[in-house]
Amino acid sequence: MADPNMKFLVVDDFSTMRRIVRNLLKELGYSNVEEAEDGAIALSMLKSGHFEFVVTDWNMPNMDGLTLLQNIRADASLSHLPVLMVTAEAKKENIIAAAQAGANGYVVKPFTAATLDEKLSKIFEKLGK
Amino acid sequence: MGNDDNNQQQAPAASINDELLSRVGQITRTLHDSLRALGLDKVVQDAARDIPDVRDRLNYVMSMTEQAAQRVLNATDTAIPLQEQIARAATALCADSTNASLKQELTEIAGKADRTKQQLMDIMMAQDFQDLTGQVIRRIIELAHELESQLVQMLVDYAPAEQRKEANAGLLNGPQIHKDREDVVADQEQVDDLLSSLGF
Repeated sequence: MADPNMKFLVVDDFSTMRRIVRNLLKELGYSNVEEAEDGAIALSMLKSGHFEFVVTDWNMPNMDGLTLLQNIRADASLSHLPVLMVTAEAKKENIIAAAQAGANGYVVKPFTAATLDEKLSKIFEKLGK
Repeated sequence: MGNDDNNQQQAPAASINDELLSRVGQITRTLHDSLRALGLDKVVQDAARDIPDVRDRLNYVMSMTEQAAQRVLNATDTAIPLQEQIARAATALCADSTNASLKQELTEIAGKADRTKQQLMDIMMAQDFQDLTGQVIRRIIELAHELESQLVQMLVDYAPAEQRKEANAGLLNGPQIHKDREDVVADQEQVDDLLSSLGF
């Protein structure tokens, strides 16, 4: 397990899903979690908040998850951030687009606690944390 | 030479286009007349009027399922830590106790509290339906909205002249925001064209 104080940002327009992801992260030992309801809010929080990990939905108003990811990768101060996409978008072209934009992982909703755990571990492993 | 070729290719294409447009026009006219003859224009009108009601009902479903999901999450948020406390307390008491049968009982209590917590986690995870069904319902609401505006536009376009006047009673509409609407001019040139076509 990575540093339990690692600061997560959970981005989803449905508060139900934000709560679920927050609870799952807590169960996995990460309780330093903040929430944003769309990409635009997330981006401004990221710029001011010293976050270390982003879990984001794709389909959201104002700024979607892919655009958020592209903005993160284009910003020198944020580009290192690991980004895990958790989304109902299940087309191959979505997954390819997310990978090309630099997503560290892709989880399709509905998902299980075990899947989230596995993807997080894989990302930490690759990052050497 | 190349130009000649292009012109020859464009001429038939243009006439096919004209023909297509005029055929679509005829079909539309026939459809309109049939709708009228069968009294279906009233049905279209009713349909257009009923769609906002459909949207309201879908919004109701969204807000009720969201409320229900939040209530479940509130309950699991309260109950999960309680089960964790029970499991911890039972384990601690078990360590302190010297009574074999009591130790046995406390170990079982800790195990049951842990299994209950896993079930509560499962109940929590199941609330993800609200996100998934919510996304589908949102899309249907958007579709209903589009359908409604198309039906309304159809009614306006084919309403008898005197009714249309009623519908568009106001001439004080202010600046037009949607300049691509058919009943709105986009620039001064179109104003001048319209006036000259009317003989001014």
